[in-house]
Amino acid sequence: MRRVAVIGVGVTKFGKHDRTSAELFAAAAADAITDAEIAPSAVQALYFGNVTGGETERQLHMGPLAATLLGLPTIPTTRFENACATSHVAFRHAVMEIASGVSDVVLVGGAERVLNVPTESATEFFAYCSDASIEQPAGLTFPGVFALIARAHMDKYGTTEEQMAHVAVKNHRHGVLNPKAQFQKEISLETVLRSAYVADPLKLFDCCPFTDGGAALVLASEDVARRHRRPIWVLGTHAATDTMFVHEKRDLARVTATERAAQGAYRQAGKTPTDVDVAEVHDCFTIAEIVATEGLGFFEPGTGGLAAEKGWTSLGGKLPVNPSGGLKAKGHPIGATGAAQIAEIVTQLRGEAGRRQVDGARTGLTHTLGGNTATVLVSLFGRD
Amino acid sequence: MTERVINLKSFFEEARAGRLTGIRCGGCGELAIPPKEFCAACQQRDWRPVPLAGGGTIVSFTVIRVAPRGRGGEVPYAVGVVKLEEGVSLLGRIVDIPFETLKGGLPVRFRPLQIDTQTVIGFGPA
Repeated sequence: MRRVAVIGVGVTKFGKHDRTSAELFAAAAADAITDAEIAPSAVQALYFGNVTGGETERQLHMGPLAATLLGLPTIPTTRFENACATSHVAFRHAVMEIASGVSDVVLVGGAERVLNVPTESATEFFAYCSDASIEQPAGLTFPGVFALIARAHMDKYGTTEEQMAHVAVKNHRHGVLNPKAQFQKEISLETVLRSAYVADPLKLFDCCPFTDGGAALVLASEDVARRHRRPIWVLGTHAATDTMFVHEKRDLARVTATERAAQGAYRQAGKTPTDVDVAEVHDCFTIAEIVATEGLGFFEPGTGGLAAEKGWTSLGGKLPVNPSGGLKAKGHPIGATGAAQIAEIVTQLRGEAGRRQVDGARTGLTHTLGGNTATVLVSLFGRD
Repeated sequence: MTERVINLKSFFEEARAGRLTGIRCGGCGELAIPPKEFCAACQQRDWRPVPLAGGGTIVSFTVIRVAPRGRGGEVPYAVGVVKLEEGVSLLGRIVDIPFETLKGGLPVRFRPLQIDTQTVIGFGPA
């Protein structure tokens, strides 16, 4: 298999947009191609992610549309949907297309637009990513899924609502340093703890927002990347799946798919958790970051809450997690999120992250989770 | 054998009549809900339906206060994962138990619910 590098990244401002998903992706993709310093015609394929376009925009077949709006109407396109892990899944497949020798330059990413519909509609559409036979009829929502996980984690390990609140405070503090973030405003522990319950024990400020946005990456084979001035290498990328049914999870206080995806990615990369200098992990809810940092091997099971409380995961801490502000403050356009996380790690490893730069970062990790913890991708990146 | 011994439709028809049904693997004895083809534990395709008594205890729960479209009139409502006494778990709506008394380990009992025209798995006081 050939080595693969990320040579270009592009991310729109996250927040509310009056542009369509396909337009948002095309804008991010044009930025990524410009950043890569390649001719647009060098792109040989598009791997595109979007989740709710059929519901929010009455728009399917969005791959060719995005390629058309980008100005590359004849490249082959494929659309991916794996809930919130969508564009990280697309990324893994784009890596395989280059690693296998099929293509030398592939464009990958995604976009989402949901702020054009009411919150209750967006909540419904996102709930389509849970099972439609048992879970949706019971009224389970995504905050509900992570509330079940949070309760199990609190019961098993003694994790507190205050520890979860520390994750929100930290990621908002990081978001202030990211001009692309949806929220660039610090919040206090009291603000989180006094916010209204959405699904007990999760409160409004434990939850990431609904977000519009797009993100894109240009991937290249080693020979193309070597001619580029700042390739960031894909050291490993691994996908894991777990049962779709929440009631079938062996232990609600763990995400076993995260553990398996991490083990696969570390093995491919020849790295261990202690090699990671900076990580972007899937903090759709504060408890999700806590469980992720345990499953990725950064902290012992049950101590992810303590890590947030002690500041170990803050910029300047022993392992900065979500310097971009994470899904919590940067925002979570679900079809774009995986690519946006990778764009942040690439920016960090290039040393171009400005005020949120993790000094001397050489190895970075991204972790994206989809649906009822059923889909998880972990990738590792390094610089020359 | 290409026809499953029980499918989702018949699982919910039985549940609607108050009969909770699982499937037990003839290969390894694994108990599962809902029906599936191969046993994830031993890879056999040798299921038989087994009636479940309906009693169990809460594993985890939440009170949903922001609902999907069309369900706003139902909030707040509790949803939980319940471990049935046979050892298999199931997710459902928890009804007729004050929210403040909900906790892990609390005994509950299956009851079918009808919400609009849909059969929903429910659990009430044991």
